Amino acid sequence: MAGHNESTASGKKSTEATNDVSTLNAESLQSNMKIIYYSRTFMSIIGGVIAGILGFTGLSGFILYFLIMAITSVGLIAKAGFQVHSYFDSWNQVILDGFLGGLLSFVLFWTFAYDIVHIF
Amino acid sequence: MGFSLGFLVGVFGVLVLSHAAYSTVQYRGLLKIMEEEFSGPPITVVAELLLGLVFSLWAALTVPGTFLSIHPHSEENMIVALPANLDFMVFNHRGKVFPVEMDLKLKH
Repeated sequence: MAGHNESTASGKKSTEATNDVSTLNAESLQSNMKIIYYSRTFMSIIGGVIAGILGFTGLSGFILYFLIMAITSVGLIAKAGFQVHSYFDSWNQVILDGFLGGLLSFVLFWTFAYDIVHIF
Repeated sequence: MGFSLGFLVGVFGVLVLSHAAYSTVQYRGLLKIMEEEFSGPPITVVAELLLGLVFSLWAALTVPGTFLSIHPHSEENMIVALPANLDFMVFNHRGKVFPVEMDLKLKH
């Protein structure tokens, strides 16, 4: 995805002087996406530990995951100063990216904390 | 030390979470002695978890760094724009036929 953006960005850059098309800086976008992934992964781990300590099983744990991801999204949008389009290409990059990867970390740490607190 | 405030807040949040886990383990031990069923963690543990969540959220939002503007016309991208455009950097041109003279010129 990042490579695709880069090629289109460099392609557009040469025509930038002639027609004033608003393009984007691929390096900054990549750095922003890395920050998003970092935040989401960390929050999924924390959310997994919280779900495990609370003793959630089944669907309620996944509802907690959705809640925490929603809170994280709101936090990230607030961090961007509510001007998402000056830092990201689209809303999906803030709201959806890193969701599935975070879910895997979440389940791992959920079971880990649940085992430590409630089983052993 | 070179730790930022957000990082220290995150460490503190993780410590709060581990203390909440420890309290829950002790609470379960107490329930086992009193021979009662576990229905949910005590309210202090829930409060600790919320506190840890807030601290960790703070850390997760501040530690990774600040967002950079992706607009090519913004001020922070003005200087980066020229070296980023590698397409116009030409090293394989006819001037390489005369490397010795170039060196002599540079020595003067």
